[in-house]
Parts: sequence; C-alpha cells; structure tokens
Amino acid sequence: MGKFIKKPNDLMQIDYKSPQTDWMDTPADIREHMYLHPTKAKELGAVDFPNIHEWKPADKNWNLPENWKEIVLNGIKERLQKYRSFHVFMDICVRCGACADKCHFYLGTGDPKNMPVLRAELLRSVYRKYFTTGGKIFGKAAGARELTDDVIRELWFYYYQCTECRRCSVFCPYGIDQAEITIIGRELTNLLGLQPGWIGGPVANCFMKGNHLGLEPHTIKSNIEFMLDDIETITGIKIEPTFNRKGAEILFITPSGDLFGMPGVYTAMGYLMLFHELGLDYTWSTYASEGGNFGFFTSNEMAKRLYSKIYSEAKRLGVKWILGGECGHMWRLWHQYQNTWWGPPDFMEAPVSPITGTRFEHASSAKVVHIAEFTADLIKHGRLKLDPSRNDHLKVTWHDSCNTSRGMGIFEEPRYALKNVCNHFYEMPENTIREKTFCCGSGSGINASENMELRMRGGLPRANAVKHVHDIHGVNTLANMCAIDRASLQPLVDYWVPGVQVAGLHELVANALVMKGEKERTTDLRGEPLPQKSAQKSGGKEDAKDV
Amino acid sequence: MPVIEYGSMKINVDDEGFLVNFNEWNETVACALAENAGVEELTKERIEILKFIREYYKQFNYFPILNAVCKSVHQPKNCVNEQFFDPLTAWKLAGLPKPDEILINIIEYGQTPT
Repeated sequence: MGKFIKKPNDLMQIDYKSPQTDWMDTPADIREHMYLHPTKAKELGAVDFPNIHEWKPADKNWNLPENWKEIVLNGIKERLQKYRSFHVFMDICVRCGACADKCHFYLGTGDPKNMPVLRAELLRSVYRKYFTTGGKIFGKAAGARELTDDVIRELWFYYYQCTECRRCSVFCPYGIDQAEITIIGRELTNLLGLQPGWIGGPVANCFMKGNHLGLEPHTIKSNIEFMLDDIETITGIKIEPTFNRKGAEILFITPSGDLFGMPGVYTAMGYLMLFHELGLDYTWSTYASEGGNFGFFTSNEMAKRLYSKIYSEAKRLGVKWILGGECGHMWRLWHQYQNTWWGPPDFMEAPVSPITGTRFEHASSAKVVHIAEFTADLIKHGRLKLDPSRNDHLKVTWHDSCNTSRGMGIFEEPRYALKNVCNHFYEMPENTIREKTFCCGSGSGINASENMELRMRGGLPRANAVKHVHDIHGVNTLANMCAIDRASLQPLVDYWVPGVQVAGLHELVANALVMKGEKERTTDLRGEPLPQKSAQKSGGKEDAKDV
Repeated sequence: MPVIEYGSMKINVDDEGFLVNFNEWNETVACALAENAGVEELTKERIEILKFIREYYKQFNYFPILNAVCKSVHQPKNCVNEQFFDPLTAWKLAGLPKPDEILINIIEYGQTPT
C-alpha cells in the first residue's frame, strides 16, 4: 500500500449526491486508506478467535470458511436471543432519516452507506430476509435481501467505518443505538475470522502481557521511572510511586498509551505529580496494566475476558476501590458492562475520596471513579494550590470524548477543572460539544495508520469546530480525557488545523499545580518555557470566557 | 535473502533492509545498514542514539520513549526524528528485527491502541 498523500483540499471535495443505482445494487468500493489491515494469524496465538485465516480486503475472494453463511445466520440468531436491544433495534426503525446527517463519517465521506440509518439497514435487510415473515415472503419489496459474500464485504467495510460514538442515537426519535448494531455486526465478522490487525493484535498483547502495547512489567516501570526523572528535572521533586503493592487503598489503572505515546506521557506525569502532592495511598499494577479494552471492539466475551484482570488484581491487592485514568471507552465499559458481567464486586468498598471525604455514590456499584471526577472534587474543596497563569501560553478548548460525555454524562467535571487551571478557555460551537460532541473519527479501535483517509474524513467535523475557535480565538490546545483522542487528534489537527496541540487534562492540571517544596518552575511538562511573569498581568481571568 | 556488501563485509538483511542476525551488529554494520536505507553519514550523535535504542531493546524488549532517548544521550528533544527522519529508521539501523505492524503504527506513526 502506498503512503496516504491526499491533501486537505482533495478531501474537501465531498460528493453528497446519491449513486445512480439502488443501494442494494451498489457494491462497496473497498479501497486503500479506507480500511484496516487484517490480523496476521501468528499475532493471535494467545487468543482463540474463530476461523483466523489469511485474506486481503482488496481481493474478491476472502477465503471465508466453507459454512460461512451458516456461521453468520446462527450468529445473528444467537444474538437476537441474547440481546433484546439488538432485536428491538432490528425491528423499530421507521427510516425517518433524522440520523442521516449526524454521523461524522457521512459528513466526511458523503457515502450514503455511512448514514446510520443505511449502515444499520445493511444488517437489518439480512435480518428481515431470514428472521421475519414479511421479509421471507416479500423479499426485496419488504427491504430484505439474500446473504451473499458481497454483503459480508459490505458489512465489514462499513462497520469499521463506524466508531460506535452514538451521536446518531441522540437524534433518533426511537433511541436506536447504532453502536449496539455495529458491535453485533463486528462480532459477526469476527466469527468469520475477519479481524482487523490493529484491534486483534492489541487484544492478544493485552491477554498475554496485560496491556495493548505489549509492555512487559519491567518496561512499564522503566517508562514511569523516565517520567519521574523528567518531573524531578522540572520541579526538583523526587517521586517514588509503588507497583503491585498489597494493602494500598486505591488501585490506579490507566490506558497503556499513557505509558509510552505522546502526549499521553505528559498526562501520566500529571497523574504522578497529583498523587504525590496528595500523599495518596495508591499503587500501579503491572499485571492489570490496561484501562482500555480493544476486546470490546471484537466481541462481548473478549471484552469480559480482558477486563477480568482488573477485578482479580483489585482483589489480590486488597484495595478499597479503583481510580481510572483518562480514558473514554474504559469508562463506558466499567459502568455499563462490568456489573452485567460479574455483578458488583463485593470485595471492595464504595469509593470515598481520602482527601475530601466525598463519597462517589454513582460509583458505589462498579467501585471505579474517573480521575476527572476525582480531581474536580479536589478543586471544589480547595485542596489543590493552583497557579493557572502557568498555562497562559495556552488557549484551550475541550473535546468531549464520546464515551465519557455522551456515554456517561461527564460534562462539567473536566470543564470545572480546566477553568481552574487555565485562564484562557473557549468552547467550540454548541452543536459539536457535550452530548452532541463530534467523534475524533478514530475511536473504537480504528486509529491505525493504514486507514488515514478514513480517519481524516471522519474527523473533519471535529477538526472543523476546532478550526472555528482557532480562527476566532487563537485556540492552540485541544484538551481531552481519552487515550485514543490523545493519540489520534494530533494527526487530525496537524492535517486540518495546523498549529494546535493535543493535551490531556492532567497535563494542564500538573502544569498549574503548585507542589510543596518545588523549585521555581521554568518550563511546562513538555519542557517548553513558561510564559513570562509580566505576561500574567496582561492575561488573567478577565480574558477567559465561554462562547 | 538479500545481502548488503559493504567493503569486504557481507551482511544478511530481510527484504526491507532489517538486519537478520541481531548479534551481528557493530558500528560498521550500522554504516552499511544506513547506506542501504539512504541515510547519510552516521555521525557520533546518530551512533549514540542507535546504541541506546539497542541496549534498551535488549533489556526491555521495546522501543524507548522518544524523549527518553534524547535525554539519555544528552541531545535536544526530537533528536530521533531530527537525526533519522522517523523512529522506525533508527530502529532499523540499530539492527533490531522488523517489528510487527502494530509496533510500526506505534513507533512510526505515534498511534497507540488504547
């Protein structure tokens, strides 16, 4: 595959005209830079995904197993019985089209099969044919169609052009959750061994080594020690966190991207500095060393399997509760799936902040608190000494990550924290934030490099909103609290809005955090010089405003 | 299997120029790999980076955090990108085996699957 070389002007030419032929007669145009590469069988040795085989998306023949049709139809049948939501979503759509132009992939590609209504219809038409009387009798006239290998190709292509962000469901009068349909569609392709490598590989890594990146325990420790060295250089403070410590009050788990990638590393430095300043009784784990869960993008069973490490580690260490780092889908999984898988973990306690005494009632079942909630609570109680002028060189906007915001309703906590650590904060337009936030275009495990055109197209609506505040207010920092965002938004804004950097919330918190015994800071966490003191006076609170 | 001839040396590499025998590496081999990869002269700064990456890999079975490389060899931030264009080239010239596609995404494109 050649490098992706299209320029923004090329991608701006979006053709919203519908094809001449009916959608059922328009085959998927599976083309380079729009799909993920398949998993190599040897990469999946540790996990038992079914029917893993060699195949190429661009080929006509995908070497499907002989009984592939039976596998898919049985897969649908089993899931209709297992998931009431899936059955309801297959039946109740009236095709009103309210969702059609709400999807970032439709807006960025102009492809009608990226309208959520039609993307769902790709599977719904098969459901009608084999599972409804009307579809069996009237066929195409009832919106039903035969299951063919072209249909499988189409399902695979488009169900990895959905990031399960659920923006469409906000606008659906029936509340149909396209993410649930995409999840089932992906499970069906997984049954046929059509697992993308960027998802399957990290799953295998996580199962073998505890995290998606495949970092071994001593490597995790080494990476954190490097961060500690940098923190000492910047603040003069030596921090000594603990690993796998039995009897700690809190187990801290974050996505492994924070332990290696940029700018995630700066966010992780922020966690380390905050916990040290609080004297928090917590421990890292090198066994359960992944907050994310790419298993969720393969099958429900695999998601459960990967996350079993977290509660078992919490039990082994005897912690009271779990604090989660800045992650998106981790959050939805922890609160909306874990209790269904295992029930509430009775070996832990309802989380209480040891610093403020706040009891996190909403987390009393899952026993997991998001660090944005934890930190906002600290600030609200005046437990942190903050100097927001240290972030005066940054003009910040906030990207609501789909899973934490639309999925879990964490809107105010990060904003509250952000406004206390930055003097210059500007909101993007109302219809692109909070529950209507636009996805980064790379969530749900599609933030690889080989599908860059897809990612740049899907991220266009988000980038467009960033450009708006960049042009009007000079915004130069896109803050967020999701590891996929931290990795994927930087190439997105480099492409569409050069001059904007991506940062995690706790990087900015730690920039502003005045620590006991610290030396005078001359740089931020990235080693960039802090704004001159004289500049503080001309900046300051009066400049900050919401728009 | 492709062979690079460099002076009197013959060095086995794979189809993409990655050294086949990890233990065969030395500074001269690095120069051969560099020439094969179209990288100009291996300066002292570049060799220092390669040695660090190599030692780190031996101990930790992974690529070091980019900033950690530069800090450890006392070179400016972004030294890896500045010296080698991209970190994967540095990996190759350090004589490390070709990483799988996941690691390439992580190292070369800075994408992390979490």
